[in-house]
Amino acid sequence: MFPNFDGTKPIYLQISEWLETEILNGNFEGDQKIYSQYQLAEILNINPATAAKGLNILAEESILYKKRGLGMFVSKAAKEMILNKRKNQKLKQLIIEIVLEAKRLNVSKVELIQMIMEEENE
Amino acid sequence: MNVIECKDVTKNYKRKKALNSISFQIEENKITGLVGRNGAGKTTLLKIIAGYMKEDSGELQVFGESPFNNLMASANTIFIHDQMEFSPALNLKEIFEAAENFYEKWDRERSFRLLHYFSLDPKQYYKRLSKGMKSTFNMIFGLSANCTLTIFDEPTTGMDAAVRKDFYRALLKDYLDNPRTIILSSHHLNEIEDLIEDLLLIKDGKELLYMPIADLKEWAIAVIGKSNVVNEWIGNKEMIHSKDMVQDQVYVVVRNDFSKVELEKAYKAGIKFSPVSSTDLCVYLTSKTKGGIDDVFS
Repeated sequence: MFPNFDGTKPIYLQISEWLETEILNGNFEGDQKIYSQYQLAEILNINPATAAKGLNILAEESILYKKRGLGMFVSKAAKEMILNKRKNQKLKQLIIEIVLEAKRLNVSKVELIQMIMEEENE
Repeated sequence: MNVIECKDVTKNYKRKKALNSISFQIEENKITGLVGRNGAGKTTLLKIIAGYMKEDSGELQVFGESPFNNLMASANTIFIHDQMEFSPALNLKEIFEAAENFYEKWDRERSFRLLHYFSLDPKQYYKRLSKGMKSTFNMIFGLSANCTLTIFDEPTTGMDAAVRKDFYRALLKDYLDNPRTIILSSHHLNEIEDLIEDLLLIKDGKELLYMPIADLKEWAIAVIGKSNVVNEWIGNKEMIHSKDMVQDQVYVVVRNDFSKVELEKAYKAGIKFSPVSSTDLCVYLTSKTKGGIDDVFS
């Protein structure tokens, strides 16, 4: 449910990631109002400025949009944007690490691809 | 608007320099965490801000005026610390009634609800309270006063874990209801880091780091790898902390301001990176030697 702050990553990043997951899971639809910074502060027991920072990251990426005086809302294309972002960033980073580790372990390209395919078939 | 402006403030005690030309500004309606080792000058600084003492040199202003001998400043400031004294002739209820006459925005209803929640008897006398209960009462007093500038110096000393948790929650809820300028000093950054907006870290009476707490975790990074590889890669950067590990590996904390090229180079050389928690970073920054306690035994 709520994020368990892990102490190493900045909290505002953990908040924006948590909100993204909430949107992906369908808990917030397009054009629906998302939590305000004060609601987030209250729910997560954090400083409201930190909460605002988490919201602003998503606003900068157009995953959320601001309505003056009304708060922040989920963009129509939010889900797609988050999926793309995770694909291009998180997955890519994981692949870089896999390739590096494979080199260290002397695993050949063919072997590595085979391992991925086996995993997928399971 | 800045509530506190502190410029080159110095304070000497007989044999010790408590504050050494410290400068910073605190903006309105922010929660600032004041962190430092014992003897770093935290309490001295807070006493000067609260108008209990006067600086030797430099200038300190609260609400645009010097707080020392200043009725406007003292009516709008509450300073909670572990040596508070209340009249021995008054019980807790009467202390609240007296406070209501002095603090314009005193919240009577909240004060008694908090007293009840923390199971403090209004008929009890302050000096009969245990250490932890005194801290709890002080905290209630500080929250209820509702002052424009609210200062808590080590407020959780003596409180048990449950009360501590309740206190931080109460502080946050009260702040959401009535935003005001709050300074919170603590040895335990991990307890307050979610709550504060800015961190003021002081060492030897001087500001060492003053930044939004959100930026602190990205400010420094730990580098782990073979000592010769790491040392070569770091070059002449300043090491904040360094520790030898097994098999000629080292763990070095440095400023996190590397270029993308440098980072890729490090990855290829097999250097690993790891985030540093805010608490650890503050310990490293304020310790006397780069290796900490290990240096004594080496």
